[in-house]
Amino acid sequence: MEQLLNELNFKIVETLNLTDVMPDDINPDDHLVGGKLGIDSIDILELVMMIEKDYAVKIDNKDLGAKVFASFKSLARYIYENSPEMS
Amino acid sequence: MINIRVYITGMGVVSPAGCGVRSLKTWIKQGKRKIRPLSLFTVSPNNLLPVGEVSESFEALEIPRTHQLALSATQEAMADAQAPPDAVIVGVTTGGMLTTEMHLKNSVSDPEAFTYHALGSVAEYIAGKYHCKGPVITVSNACSSGTAAIKIALEMLRSGQAGRVLAGGVDSLCRLTYYGFKSLQLIDPAGARPLDQNRRGMSVGEAAAMFLLVAEEIAPGNAIVEVLGGGLSCDAYHPTTPHPDGEGALNAMRAAIRDAGILTSDIDYINLHGTGTLDNDLSEAKALNALFGNNRPPLSSVKGAFGHSLAAAGAVEVAISAISITEGVIPANTGCQTPDPKLGIDPVMAPTEKEVRIVLSNSFGFGGNNAALVMGISGEKKPSPSKKIPPLTIEGSACITGAGNMKKTLENISSGKDCKGVLSLSEISKSLKPAEIRRLKRLPRMALSLALAAFQNGNLQETPSSVFWGTGWGPLSETYDFLKKLYESDEQFGSPTDFIGSVHNAPAGQVAVHFGAKGPNVTTTGGDYSFEQALLAASLLADKIDAAFLVIGADESHEAFSPLFDRSVTGDEVRSDGGGAICLKRSGVSYGIKIYPVFFENTDDNPSIIPSLVSILGNSQVIEQQFGAILAGIPAAYRQEGEKQLHEFLSLSDFHQPVIDYRRLTGEFASASAVATALAVEFIRSGEMPASLCGGDGYSLDGKGILILGFGKFVTAIEITS
Repeated sequence: MEQLLNELNFKIVETLNLTDVMPDDINPDDHLVGGKLGIDSIDILELVMMIEKDYAVKIDNKDLGAKVFASFKSLARYIYENSPEMS
Repeated sequence: MINIRVYITGMGVVSPAGCGVRSLKTWIKQGKRKIRPLSLFTVSPNNLLPVGEVSESFEALEIPRTHQLALSATQEAMADAQAPPDAVIVGVTTGGMLTTEMHLKNSVSDPEAFTYHALGSVAEYIAGKYHCKGPVITVSNACSSGTAAIKIALEMLRSGQAGRVLAGGVDSLCRLTYYGFKSLQLIDPAGARPLDQNRRGMSVGEAAAMFLLVAEEIAPGNAIVEVLGGGLSCDAYHPTTPHPDGEGALNAMRAAIRDAGILTSDIDYINLHGTGTLDNDLSEAKALNALFGNNRPPLSSVKGAFGHSLAAAGAVEVAISAISITEGVIPANTGCQTPDPKLGIDPVMAPTEKEVRIVLSNSFGFGGNNAALVMGISGEKKPSPSKKIPPLTIEGSACITGAGNMKKTLENISSGKDCKGVLSLSEISKSLKPAEIRRLKRLPRMALSLALAAFQNGNLQETPSSVFWGTGWGPLSETYDFLKKLYESDEQFGSPTDFIGSVHNAPAGQVAVHFGAKGPNVTTTGGDYSFEQALLAASLLADKIDAAFLVIGADESHEAFSPLFDRSVTGDEVRSDGGGAICLKRSGVSYGIKIYPVFFENTDDNPSIIPSLVSILGNSQVIEQQFGAILAGIPAAYRQEGEKQLHEFLSLSDFHQPVIDYRRLTGEFASASAVATALAVEFIRSGEMPASLCGGDGYSLDGKGILILGFGKFVTAIEITS
């Protein structure tokens, strides 16, 4: 899980081109949407695609998305629990 | 003509309901759902979605599907026409993309294969076929393109610049839009269910609807309906999400109703944009409730029947609105089982016979581009006097070239150098906030940088309220990146950010968000004359724009796409890109630098185009007295013809002052004329033409203006005077 957190840190910064954010700046409990990172709905969709591509985890409805993307920790946990790659 | 009214006298349609207006007349009485699983092209596993597909087959012509749809609709619209149209104005977002996608998939590298790729090539093809000698404008405002095209046609007719305009909208299905909307999770897997409490999104569709609009003082015998008015606005809120309270939608509807000179209570039917997405239907409903309160007329969306045909949608819905009037039937809100109580509006659930005299039709697009039209049977409306194009003052200007910004570009020119090349992305981004441009690639950054610089260059207190944006090829980086990722993943993954960024009007949307510019927002595209189209559109709408507005033109050089698409970009020439922007305001005063788009004609079937140009500018004496220099744009792809045209112009006009072949300076890219325009402003401000451009001696303009001429496939002229 620790490794996944670090990996996700890096991928989020890379996927969203958050050039002035260091991977270490993202705290596990940080809100992802509307937080200090300035992530919006389009960014979330971009992350959804990255997660499906790299972890084979589908997040294809708004309600699920809202729960999963509530924080960095909840995102990592959802992937950890649902990805065929993680077992 | 003192009192101009505008009538539709010819109408042509191709849609999922079939070919021809007759198929729509049959449809409107039954309201059948025409959305079904895609069959036009194969898609990746688990990605088969319902769409609004046209099932007619076309002759095997060498043109892409979008052009075929447009031709079919135009044939019907022009069937009884007595003369060619004076102008062609079409809304398009796909152009030749379906064909281009297949070529790219098959690694085709012959530029010949991409001859019809450009969005602008659809209207140009139609104009050629129907011998239109006048201006050709392609409007690319995403989902409101067709409606916006008809509004611009309305204004052109009201201005007296044209007596007959062929206008409409067209788009074909293609992988870019099919997978693109899917990547945004905006597609309802069950097919669009507008206004339904369980709605989950839209269905992409294809169609074409074309209209012959004529200016007359009273209704001609063959008038179908009158186009009473139209309104354009911009949400200036977000690249894709509509304003949650429907503010922009409300503004567009209000503007249309005011423009038509009617009351809300005069409206008998509202044709909604109603895509079926959660956000659109909600924000549209809010806007309707704000405008009509409890006195809402019957309303419905037809996108549950036809899907959302993007640029064609607004035009097809104008056809349906016209038919609702002529047949006395209100179309059903097909696809809705249970209207969502949260919306507070109740759609017509089955086709309903009713007298319909006046209809309001809505189209709300990506980037917050909103358009609304009012049409009806003539009779009650007071005729409106023909309008005049107001004089426009240039408050500020800016450019980007391979040399850099305006200052650096002028330095290069003064020292006898050219300004070709491709400026680095970091240089372009210098004046922009990182957080604002995080998701933006080359073209939108150029557009933003130009807009900011042009505005700052003026001394205005108020920010611009409207944006007019011309681009020959649109955002190439985003388009390329989207398709590359799509194909590399075997059509499993498409980037939402790249899809949103790939639409031609995305940069204009970014500029609008930056300035909070909520007035008309129009994107035009037509190869080397894209900037001229934007300026023409701006001049036609300026009489209703009180604040300042921007006219911007830019194109990016893309390593893979530019040599494939743009015939002026050849192998050995230095790659160049850039653009120009001017900040304009309606003039109240006699001083200040003025701009006027005075001429725009098609060279097809137009042997006396140059004598026509000379005549419009005044005779040769007038030209020599008014203008101290000419900046002439001759695209490399038309070098031979262009030089002949310029030569003919110079000999007829007897012009002896400096003539600068400006693409030798700027390099080859579609919106080079935007750079020329911005430079002309600086030359006039300084009072002289740089010595390096005039054979060594500084050339005083002596208070005269500069003429910007465009040659090649079209001949254009922009007057800049002090």
